[in-house]
Amino acid sequence: MPIQNPNPNKKKKKHSNQDDDEDDTVQGKQRTQFEFCKACRLNHNQGRRHIYFPNHKKALSSFLSRFQSKLKNDVAFYLKKPMPLRPEHAALNRLWCVFCDFDILESDSSFACSGNAIAHLASAEHLKGVKSFLWKYGGGMDRMDSFRISESDFTKWEKKCKLLKSEAAGGGSHGSLIGPLNDIHNESKSEYVNSFDKNKLDCLTSDVKCSNSVVPLQDHTIERSQISHSKICTVGPQILHAGTGVGLGARTPNGLPGFFGNQHYTHSVPKEGPAYSCPNDGKVYSYEGIAIGDRHSQGTSSEESRLQTQENGGGNVHSGAPPPWFSAAEKIQLDNKLNQGLGDLVSSLGEQMKTSKLNPKRVGAAWAERRKIELELEKRGELVRHDFGADWLPNFGRVWQSGSRKDSRKEFLGENKTWRKVDSQIEKPSQFQPYISKRMRTDNTAE
Amino acid sequence: MNYLLTTLTKKQEVDSMIRDTIDKVLVLCFGRASDSIFLQLDEILYKSVREVSKFATVALVDIDSDDVQVYVKYFDITLIPSTVFFFNAHHMKMDCGSADHTKWVGTFLRKQDFLDVVEAIYRGAMKGKLIVTCPLPPDRIPKFHLLYEDV
Repeated sequence: MPIQNPNPNKKKKKHSNQDDDEDDTVQGKQRTQFEFCKACRLNHNQGRRHIYFPNHKKALSSFLSRFQSKLKNDVAFYLKKPMPLRPEHAALNRLWCVFCDFDILESDSSFACSGNAIAHLASAEHLKGVKSFLWKYGGGMDRMDSFRISESDFTKWEKKCKLLKSEAAGGGSHGSLIGPLNDIHNESKSEYVNSFDKNKLDCLTSDVKCSNSVVPLQDHTIERSQISHSKICTVGPQILHAGTGVGLGARTPNGLPGFFGNQHYTHSVPKEGPAYSCPNDGKVYSYEGIAIGDRHSQGTSSEESRLQTQENGGGNVHSGAPPPWFSAAEKIQLDNKLNQGLGDLVSSLGEQMKTSKLNPKRVGAAWAERRKIELELEKRGELVRHDFGADWLPNFGRVWQSGSRKDSRKEFLGENKTWRKVDSQIEKPSQFQPYISKRMRTDNTAE
Repeated sequence: MNYLLTTLTKKQEVDSMIRDTIDKVLVLCFGRASDSIFLQLDEILYKSVREVSKFATVALVDIDSDDVQVYVKYFDITLIPSTVFFFNAHHMKMDCGSADHTKWVGTFLRKQDFLDVVEAIYRGAMKGKLIVTCPLPPDRIPKFHLLYEDV
C-alpha cells in the first residue's frame, strides 16, 4: 500500500496550488497580500473587506472632503473667472490630484490660473483615475462628478479664457494680474457694473481666494474707503438709500472736504471693491452706496447697521484711531511673541494639542478630564486637596462578578462590613476561665 | 531591598497612585519581598520601567502590610505575585486563557512579554475596551490553579 500513498498526496498538492486563491476567499482568512490603503494610510492584508470597515469609511470621507474643499476653493473660482497667470505665482498654484497620483504644475499654462489643473480635471484620464479610485476605496460611484469638471464647463471656461486673451491682446499693455481691474476708462459703465456684481458674488462665495488676488493699490483705496466711509456715516443713511454714485458730490450739502477726491476716485472704486471685500465687508457695501450709479444696493438696511456698528466701534482718521490694518498687525505681533517665547505657553499648548488628539472614547476619559482639571486647580492653589476618604475603592471587576462593577464594589463593601462585624465580635473580651472539672467543682461545693 | 521598585505600603499611597496616574496604564504588583518569584518579577519590571514610562507606571505593593489588606481582599489576591492593571482609575481585565481575567498571576518569562502585555492593555484602553486579550502564546503564560470562592 505504500505505492498508493504518494499519488493522492501529489494530487492534493497540485489542487492546493491551484485552489490557493479560492481557498483564501472561501475560508475568508487573511491570506491575501498586503496592500496600501491611501485613505487610511496603512498597509493591510484584508483585501476587499477593508473598504467596509468603519475606520476606513471615516478616513475616506475626511480624505475626500479635504480634496473636495481644495477643488471648491481654488479650482471652482478660477473656472468661473479665468485670470491671467503670472510666472511668479505659478509655483504656488500647484494641485496634487489624489486620484491620478500626480502633481499638476502651472509652469506652462499661458492663459489662466490653474489652467493645467482644470484641463487635467476635465480630461478622460482623470475620469478613469476617479473611477478606479472610487471602486478601489469604495467611495460611492455617484460622487464621481464632484471630483471632475464636465466637458460643458470646460468648454465654457475655455471660451472665457479665449475672450480674456483677446481682451488682453486688444486692450493694450495693462498686463496687470488684477483680472477684475480692467481698464476702466475704456469700458462703459453698465458693463462694469454688471461685472462688479459678478465679482462681488464670486468673492463672497470664495473669500479665501480674494487674498490671493494681490492688489498693489490696496493701501490707497482703504484710505479712501475710510474717508468716504466716515463721510457717509456722518452724513447719514439717506445717501445710502439714494445710492447715487457720481451724484454724491452734488448731494452732500455740507461741502465735505475731499469731495473732489471722492469724485475722482469713484471711477476706480467699484472695480477695487471686490478685491477688498475680504478685509472689510462693510466697506464694500459702502462703495456700492457711493459708486454704483442709480442702483439700489440691496439689503442696505443691514449694511447700514453694520456700517454704523463699525463706525461706533472703530473710530476714524479724524478721531485719531489707528487704521484697521494696525490692529491686525498688533495681532500678528502678539502671535509672533507667542510663537517665539514662553516655554510654558508652548508646552501647555503642546499638551492641549495632545489632549485634543486623545481618543475621547478611551477608558475612563471623563474621569481623566475631571482629574486633570482638579490637579491644575490644586497646582494653582485654588482647590485645597481633599482626601477622598479612607473608604475609596477603585473601579474593579471582581473575579466572580455577576453585575456591573459598581455592584461588585457594593458587594465588597457589604462583605467588608460583615467581616468587620465578625472581627469586632471576636474582639469582645471573652472571659477566659480555667477549666474546672466536675470533680473539682463538686469538691469545692462540698467544701 | 534596594533593588525593588517603589513599594507602597499604605492604602492612601495606593489610592493616590491610582488617582494620579492619568492616561497611563498603572501596573500594581502585589507580593512579598521574601518571595523569589516576586523578586524575579521585580527584576523584569525594573528593566522595563523606563521603556514603558511614556504610557505606563509601575508600582509594587507589599501584601504583608495591614493597611493594604482591604485591597488584597478587594482584588481577591490569593496567589503571589499578582499584578493588577489600571487605566484612569478603571480596572483593566486581560484574558490570558486562564479563568481569572482580573489579574496577572506570576512573573513574566521575558522582559518582552511584559512589554507586550502592557502595550496590549494600553491599546485596548485607548480604544475604550475594559477587557483585552493576551498577546502572548499560551506556553509563555505561567499557569496556576484558581482557588474557588468557598475554599
